[in-house]
Amino acid sequence: MLLRASSDAVGAEVDLSAAVEDAADGGVEDGAVLTAFAEAVVRATDDLDAARARALETLGPEKFVEAAATVGIFNGLVRVADSTGIPSDAMMLERTADVRGELGFNRWGGARASGVAEAPA
Amino acid sequence: MSFAAGRFPVPVREDMAAALRRSWADIGRPGAWWTGPERVAIAALARAERIQRNEPPWSRDRRETSEPLPEKAVEAARKIGADPAHLDREWANGVIAGIGDSHYVELASVVVTTAAADAFCEAMGIDHEPFPEPEAGEPTRERPDGMGDIGAWVPVQVIDWKRANVARAMSLVPEGVRTFFRMVAAMYTGTASDFDRMVWDHRPLARPQVELLAARVSALNQCFY
Repeated sequence: MLLRASSDAVGAEVDLSAAVEDAADGGVEDGAVLTAFAEAVVRATDDLDAARARALETLGPEKFVEAAATVGIFNGLVRVADSTGIPSDAMMLERTADVRGELGFNRWGGARASGVAEAPA
Repeated sequence: MSFAAGRFPVPVREDMAAALRRSWADIGRPGAWWTGPERVAIAALARAERIQRNEPPWSRDRRETSEPLPEKAVEAARKIGADPAHLDREWANGVIAGIGDSHYVELASVVVTTAAADAFCEAMGIDHEPFPEPEAGEPTRERPDGMGDIGAWVPVQVIDWKRANVARAMSLVPEGVRTFFRMVAAMYTGTASDFDRMVWDHRPLARPQVELLAARVSALNQCFY
């Protein structure tokens, strides 16, 4: 998982549960603002305008655009993976073996394509 | 001009806007297996369904397409557009049996491009980009060599592949890869050397901030990859 690798690279300890919890900061700067923004876009919630305004105010315009771009492009990337059933890369499976089960990733449908599926909860 | 600078509430990097513009225009052009009008119809189906993603599929408002499409193509555009967490091999096999693997992959490439551009607009707080005017012309019907089975639902490039699997997931339709991954480079990865660096001190957001967003969006979509 690149979140952990990139945090390790700057000597920071990241809480990976931020990937699956609402408005969690994960130990990342402005993390809660970023995740709340992502959640509002993906879920199309009523608080999207507020989450966007908070992201823009907190991050400033330049970082806000990068955040919006990341949220946008990952809405495409997940569909690339999930529409083609592409298996995960061996290195990524190895590096995430210790957290996938705990975070529930192995119960998602796409885990079958990588041969690590657990029964849905 | 699509994605014109004046549409954005705050300045957007020109290389990002240019990538969006080029990829958006590609949607209206004949592809390898679908015509321009068919590609725009696929994009419109995906958008209409994704807008209603919080509604259960059986209660969504569904209208006729602007261009006749095979029933399986209509189903695939809608499902990939709005319910990516609920796709499985059996379903994909059924669609591929109906329209062919190349048509399926190109359809997916149009849908993913549309979903990414639409989600970006939603994040920026602007209206979705109007679809491009479809261009006339016939699909090239070119199938690349070097495809093989690595366990995906579709054949992918297998010769001397050294990059992440997701980058070859749609390699059965190289034009689709170019269209979408042009946006990926501008909106996420940057150059190949950028992507390999875990410390981004030359970009507005730090790498962990970008990867936190990536992880959260992936998890919200229950994407294992």
